[in-house]
Amino acid sequence: MSEKDIGKGYIELRFGPRWKYIACARSFIQNFLAISIVDQTKADKIAMAASELLENAVKYASGEDTHISVNVSPKTEKISVQVTNIATPESIKNLEKVYDKISRGNSLDAYVSQMKEAALRSDGKSQLGLARIRYETGGDLKMEIEKNVVKVSIDIG
Amino acid sequence: MNRLGIEPVSEERITINVLDNPNGITVKFTGDIDMEDPSIILDPLFEKVHDGVLENNYKEVIADFRELNFLNSSGIKAVAKWIMKLSEVDDTQKYIIKIVHNKDITWQVTSLPTLTFLVPGAVQVE
Repeated sequence: MSEKDIGKGYIELRFGPRWKYIACARSFIQNFLAISIVDQTKADKIAMAASELLENAVKYASGEDTHISVNVSPKTEKISVQVTNIATPESIKNLEKVYDKISRGNSLDAYVSQMKEAALRSDGKSQLGLARIRYETGGDLKMEIEKNVVKVSIDIG
Repeated sequence: MNRLGIEPVSEERITINVLDNPNGITVKFTGDIDMEDPSIILDPLFEKVHDGVLENNYKEVIADFRELNFLNSSGIKAVAKWIMKLSEVDDTQKYIIKIVHNKDITWQVTSLPTLTFLVPGAVQVE
């Protein structure tokens, strides 16, 4: 932990990508935030965002190691969530495409447009999670790719 | 059993009941929709509701989300797919989906109103 992080509250979870763990992680994060910050609406939004990021990670992970960290600044109640997982080149390419599309322009327009597109898909995918997170949290969504490692983070002030 | 003869759905952590109401039909959700592919249960259910409502010329469906604790984006996709069906319906057959939501559940306040933008006039959020 760096010096600037001292005083921050944080949790880190690491698990093999199993769908059944997501609800459990969501509840755990919600409970952690309930005792860490006053703003419960923000806590709910973060728990939703964490759940959606974990769903993406589990759906598109190619390895066993999915990692999530939630950091809370007690003074400002600024929260950041980061999910890291290993993915195949094909999944990474698709993810980059979705990220580029939903990051442009107004977040509501991007979300509604993505919902309309999702409704027409027949492949079982929704590709809605990132657009939902960006619109519903109003936070700063970022994605970084390094080789086969995908890091998606959201910062909410 | 409701007038449309649609059976309740109970799968993993979600139960969905279809109930009669004086103006049509109510679809009531209880629990969590957070499975990997909720379209497996939601698409056939919404199709039955949509077809039954058109056949009986009902003018409204109440989608009661008040007891739904969580809906993942794959579940939102299924709801959006149902709503988008209304864009293909003839004006004389159109019905309104009235969404009843719980103001104490944050995702309902932020997510559900966005559904009104899919097909103009097809969805009301109460």
